[in-house]
Amino acid sequence: MIKKFTALTLATVMTATLAACGSNGAGGNAATNSPNAEGVSAGSSDKIVIKYWYAFGGKAEEAKKHLVKEFNESQDRIEVVAEHQGNYDDLHAKVQAAFAAGNAPAVSDLEIASTGVFARSGMLEELTAFAERDSAELQLEDFNPGLMGNAYVDEKLYGLPFMRSTPILYKNVTMLKEFGLDPEGPKSWDELEQYARVLKEKGKTGMTVPADIWYYEALVAQSGGNMLSDNGKSAAFNTPEGVAPVEYWKKMVGDGLIKIPVGDEAGATADKDWANQLSAFKFGSTAGVNASLEIAKGSGFEMQTSFMPANKDYGVPTGGCQLVITANLSDEEKEAAWTFLKWMTTKENTIYQHKNVGYLPTRLSALESEDLKAHFQEFPQYKVAVDQLEYARPRPMESAYPEVTKIIREAIEKSILDPNTAPQDAMNEAAEKANKLLSK
Amino acid sequence: MTLWTKLRPYGMVAPAIIVFSLFFIYPIFYMIYLSMFDWNFVSPTKTFVGLQNFRDLLAEEDFRKVLSNTTIYTVLTVTLTTGLALLLALWLNKKSLFHGFVQGAIFSPHIISLVSISLLWSWLMDPEYGLLNWVIGLAGFDKLQWLSHPSTALVSLVMVAVWKGLGYNALVFIAGLQSIPADIYEAASLDRSKPWTTFTKLILPMLSPTIFFLVIINMIGSFQVFETIAIMTQGGPINSTNTLVYYIYEYGFRFFKIGYASAAGVILLVIVGILTIIYFKLLSNRVHYR
Repeated sequence: MIKKFTALTLATVMTATLAACGSNGAGGNAATNSPNAEGVSAGSSDKIVIKYWYAFGGKAEEAKKHLVKEFNESQDRIEVVAEHQGNYDDLHAKVQAAFAAGNAPAVSDLEIASTGVFARSGMLEELTAFAERDSAELQLEDFNPGLMGNAYVDEKLYGLPFMRSTPILYKNVTMLKEFGLDPEGPKSWDELEQYARVLKEKGKTGMTVPADIWYYEALVAQSGGNMLSDNGKSAAFNTPEGVAPVEYWKKMVGDGLIKIPVGDEAGATADKDWANQLSAFKFGSTAGVNASLEIAKGSGFEMQTSFMPANKDYGVPTGGCQLVITANLSDEEKEAAWTFLKWMTTKENTIYQHKNVGYLPTRLSALESEDLKAHFQEFPQYKVAVDQLEYARPRPMESAYPEVTKIIREAIEKSILDPNTAPQDAMNEAAEKANKLLSK
Repeated sequence: MTLWTKLRPYGMVAPAIIVFSLFFIYPIFYMIYLSMFDWNFVSPTKTFVGLQNFRDLLAEEDFRKVLSNTTIYTVLTVTLTTGLALLLALWLNKKSLFHGFVQGAIFSPHIISLVSISLLWSWLMDPEYGLLNWVIGLAGFDKLQWLSHPSTALVSLVMVAVWKGLGYNALVFIAGLQSIPADIYEAASLDRSKPWTTFTKLILPMLSPTIFFLVIINMIGSFQVFETIAIMTQGGPINSTNTLVYYIYEYGFRFFKIGYASAAGVILLVIVGILTIIYFKLLSNRVHYR
């Protein structure tokens, strides 16, 4: 009897431990233990301390840290503490957990497609009133209209464009010239295919490209389609325009013209293939211009950027992050956070981050500045993304969209990896699943 | 009897009980509570949906895939780790400098953080630039896709888990082997027992508590697998490596569906509870207790 009882107890305890870890482990870790949870006045002065959480390391982090430091030195009322939180997914999960724990940072980066779910959950402070009050100083209309699509949710302003991007085509011009290919191209899907055939004969891969949802959104736009219906309640990616990119990719992979690595390392593999001059092209965020120029210089090849090739027309989604203020702050903290937001998005600072990282200059006045005109003259690689904005569109912001992207990605991978799966069937199946989520 | 002597035992266990209740018991009940809501953790509207989350889950094809992935992963990892560790332990159960060195070498992965291990193996298993494919190429075989293909990804993760767990398991087995009294061996050799008979009739029964312990520990560890998946595959490609805990994480913290994730957590609780009880019922009869 005793033995039985012990066994049962042990079983219960083990299960308990396990399940607790399962559902709560990640959340527990996610809420980081930072000392200055909310605005805490530092020292004897009335200085207000606010936290700013950001995503990504590398060039973007350097620039963000530099800007925060300058902000702190520029005045003596507000102290911003910047904290790195991993990639966008990590950052979002942490902000959510911290918010649930009443511990959220005052200001955070927010990937644009997630603005909808964050705003509708009441996690973000609406900025409309602030923007109206300070309209003379802020000059909201000076922001590039192509970047404002994701700043509004249900006609209310929730974020200011910060490090915004579009995907562009990176080219190894030295390699193209070597094989007698016009370095101005490829301008269309067909041209890309022709280029890739020549490159294949020479033992190279045309392009290594992960089946990333962002690039897929671009190819759908180029085909003249949409990801979701106009009201966002149903999928539109199983239309001919949405299936065309998958069929194109499948055919190119089948002929050995491009490589589509899958899995978590896919993006890194694509970058490595391009950097090691195994493939001539890569798609990448404009955020990588600065870093890619360094790679090209180090490896001794000439690099150019251009629009992503067109199918029916050019087209890209925008990307990157905006700055948001979390809800439930005290009035003082709100003002401090708003001051910081305004400062981070000034003309001078958007020029700074553009030149030092490669993200888009968010303000029209920045594009007009002598500073950037001279910069574009010297490095035309930076200008491509700005010009391409003409063909840019916002990303879908439905609350279910993150989950839908997972379903789409699986369907694309399945179509490409499994020779027996027809793209249309896979996308139809994905659309059916997505409709259930979107119609809620 | 004074009041103090009556209260003392409760005071003594209080810290452990409080921590346990706060971090294990309370979250479990909160999870069961949340599993009946449609909520995203922060929104002011929290809708009661009863058992709808469970119905959705069980109807979800991906969830069945996740369950089967988790089961395959657990069975493979537990069998391979325990089996190989036992063989290693039999070989290493000698005192020499060389054996000591090998023992130390295979134990070392156990003390390395799983995050570092995941990154390390991601590089080793890179289809283009990885060391493993380079070696395979030298040997004249076709390169493997490792984590990048649905057919090999899960097995690749099992490999990493076995590599990580082998040393610890072997160490525990060696300790178990060394605690078998020498006189039993002597008696066996006097009876001219063949090595295989010694192994099946003597070593295995004497080692059974150790085997039992390791199987349970490994099983629970495998069911909890998360870090390697989060870092190396994120459940892909095509859901081929998505396991229960990662699925829960994904829905809770990437898609912000905390009710749905909690429902999956409850199912995990039930499955592991049943498994553990079955284990104790079945195996406890065959375990030799001295």
